[in-house]
Amino acid sequence: MKPYSSVCIIDDDHIFIYGVKRLIEETSFCDELTVYRNGPDALNELKERPKNNLDLPGIIFLDLNMPMMTGWEFLDEYLQIEAQNISQTRVYIVSSSVDPKDLLKIKEYKVIRNYILKPVRVDDLEKIIAEHS
Amino acid sequence: MKTIEINHDIKNSPACMAILDQDMRIVDCSRTFLKESMIQDKDIHGKYFYDVFSEFPEELRHSGSDLFVDQQLNIKMVRISSPEQGVKWYKWKVYSLADNNGDHLGFTIIREDISDLKRNEELLEKSMNVARVGGWEVDLINNIVFWTDVTREIHEVGADYTPCLEEGINFYKPGADREKITALVSDGIREGKPWDTELRIITAKGRELWVRAKGEAEFAAGKCIRLYGIFQDIDEKKKAELNIQEISERLSLATTAANVGVWDYNVVDNTLVWDDNMYRLYGIRREDFSGVYEAWETAVHPDDQEEGKKSIQRAIAGEAEFDTEFRVIWPNGEIRFIRAFAITQRTESREALRMIGTNWDITEIRQAEDKLKNLLDITSEQNKSLMNFAHIVSHNLRSHASNLSMLTAFLCKEKQEEERMKLVEMLDEASESLNETVRHLNDVVQVKTGATEKIRPVKLLKALKTVQNNLLLLLQEKNTQCSIDIPSDLMVNAIPAYFDSILLNLFTNSIKYSQPDSDLQIDIRYRINGDHLRLSFTDNGLGIDLERYGDKIFGMYKTFHRHKDARGIGLFITKNQIEAMNGTIEVESEVGKGTTFHLCLELSESNTD
Repeated sequence: MKPYSSVCIIDDDHIFIYGVKRLIEETSFCDELTVYRNGPDALNELKERPKNNLDLPGIIFLDLNMPMMTGWEFLDEYLQIEAQNISQTRVYIVSSSVDPKDLLKIKEYKVIRNYILKPVRVDDLEKIIAEHS
Repeated sequence: MKTIEINHDIKNSPACMAILDQDMRIVDCSRTFLKESMIQDKDIHGKYFYDVFSEFPEELRHSGSDLFVDQQLNIKMVRISSPEQGVKWYKWKVYSLADNNGDHLGFTIIREDISDLKRNEELLEKSMNVARVGGWEVDLINNIVFWTDVTREIHEVGADYTPCLEEGINFYKPGADREKITALVSDGIREGKPWDTELRIITAKGRELWVRAKGEAEFAAGKCIRLYGIFQDIDEKKKAELNIQEISERLSLATTAANVGVWDYNVVDNTLVWDDNMYRLYGIRREDFSGVYEAWETAVHPDDQEEGKKSIQRAIAGEAEFDTEFRVIWPNGEIRFIRAFAITQRTESREALRMIGTNWDITEIRQAEDKLKNLLDITSEQNKSLMNFAHIVSHNLRSHASNLSMLTAFLCKEKQEEERMKLVEMLDEASESLNETVRHLNDVVQVKTGATEKIRPVKLLKALKTVQNNLLLLLQEKNTQCSIDIPSDLMVNAIPAYFDSILLNLFTNSIKYSQPDSDLQIDIRYRINGDHLRLSFTDNGLGIDLERYGDKIFGMYKTFHRHKDARGIGLFITKNQIEAMNGTIEVESEVGKGTTFHLCLELSESNTD
């Protein structure tokens, strides 16, 4: 049994996605991994899940700087989805941003568990696993 | 002894009159005499006259018949002051009474009360003294000059001084003053023309004095026989007047030099007066207007008139001092800023009587303020964008660098050849991205740190055509209709490389974000605003949701469309390049309809050559 059943990555950088995928496989982090390349695509799909009796992801790795929609904009809309376990989603911001505005904003969202500055390392994933158990 | 025949009418005479015998004893008198002598005894017949009227002047007391031959000397005026009557003036006249043979019989004595006349004379003299008004007269037949005491005083000569006409004229200050009085007097004698003038004399003591000389001539049988008039010391008044004139000239000089207009509004009569500077400030001519109010209404910017009138009303009502600003439009269309200030004079019950105010031109100050504010806005805007830029640069460098380090770590561990190849490909891609980011950074820094080239006149149409030609294939692919309405000789001040890059970016944006299923239409128009050109670049493309992205559209690495080439760097650089050329860029857009970019740039002076 892997620590998480469903994990979701929202990031526009395909190299980063490749890397995280590899790390997740190496750490046996989850059963199911979904990748979205931008906010609108992710929202379109995730909004449909409760309607089809599917669970929302237990963990979202969210990038901040993305085209069309920033990570913050995604999060605001995501939290509007009507589902019972919406607030149980663990959101990890994964970004290269060191903008103080972004760091301050993290405190405004209860669902955000942590902020991971890129690059993501095995340690980071192991820490998340430790938090869960 | 001869007997005096008494005419009975004497009793009823209204005059104070008495008939005396040769021994000065009263023979008869009028009732008025009785009353005024205040003798109770009705029968004063035979009384010694001097006992009855003790104040009878000494000089007129004669004994016997030795009356003065000169009738004038038989008249005397006496001033009496008593606690009962106050000051009284009497004129005594003594006449000799003779019978038909001419033999002396006695005297008639008459007393006239001339107090009123004397009082008037005294007052007149006093007031002449106070006003320093003297009189003069020239008898041209006998060439005798008469000066009153005051005239003599003004000339500072002794009481016995009597000049001839020429001497009188020689008191006037040599030069213009003496020439003028000579001419006036000559005209008076020749043509009977009166004169009234203000000139300077030099007194006997050598003091210079302003006087008013007024005179007229009297003619008899066509010949001037007499000149007479008044002579007044107006030195103090005249000097004060000259002083005021000097001060007001100085003030007017100062206000003119400082370009300050002065106005005076009589609240009660509703009349307004402007000085010449006011007309100059409003760029209008006094003679073009029937009244000041009309002039004001014509010149003041229509949008500011209401507020101007309100300010006046508030000042009159005493709610606030008049202290305001408004714009005026000169006949040539130029707009000037005017600062206005006034004080309101009031009655004791606080009713406004009059407003006196100033106007001055603050256009240059306002323009400098605006420029400063503008600069400040640009600077703070640039600061903000620099901050933003720093964070973005750090973000991008970090994301590429972290990919590189991650990929390298994988590569070190990877044994499978196929996977290794994939990693090397990605490494290559990541390093190319890093390279591109550094290139962007370089572009931006170049714009930020100031022009690599100088601003110079650029032919707008030529620049547009060049860029259009470079993109010809791409434009043809989209079946583009380009409508460019720009005169071929229109020039703007620009950095040529930046200007090309901006146009290129606008064109490629229109191509990139065009409607997928319809032809692209690009319209380029211009408008001239004073010394600036406003270039409008309109397409019928996808449009941008400005309500959502408004403040971010010119931000770095902001993209709003799913397009593989969307980098989010173009408009950021465009904006910086425009600002480096002292220009501005604005956007209007509607999703699904299209986008218009408005570029504002300085017109080149070569346009007017």
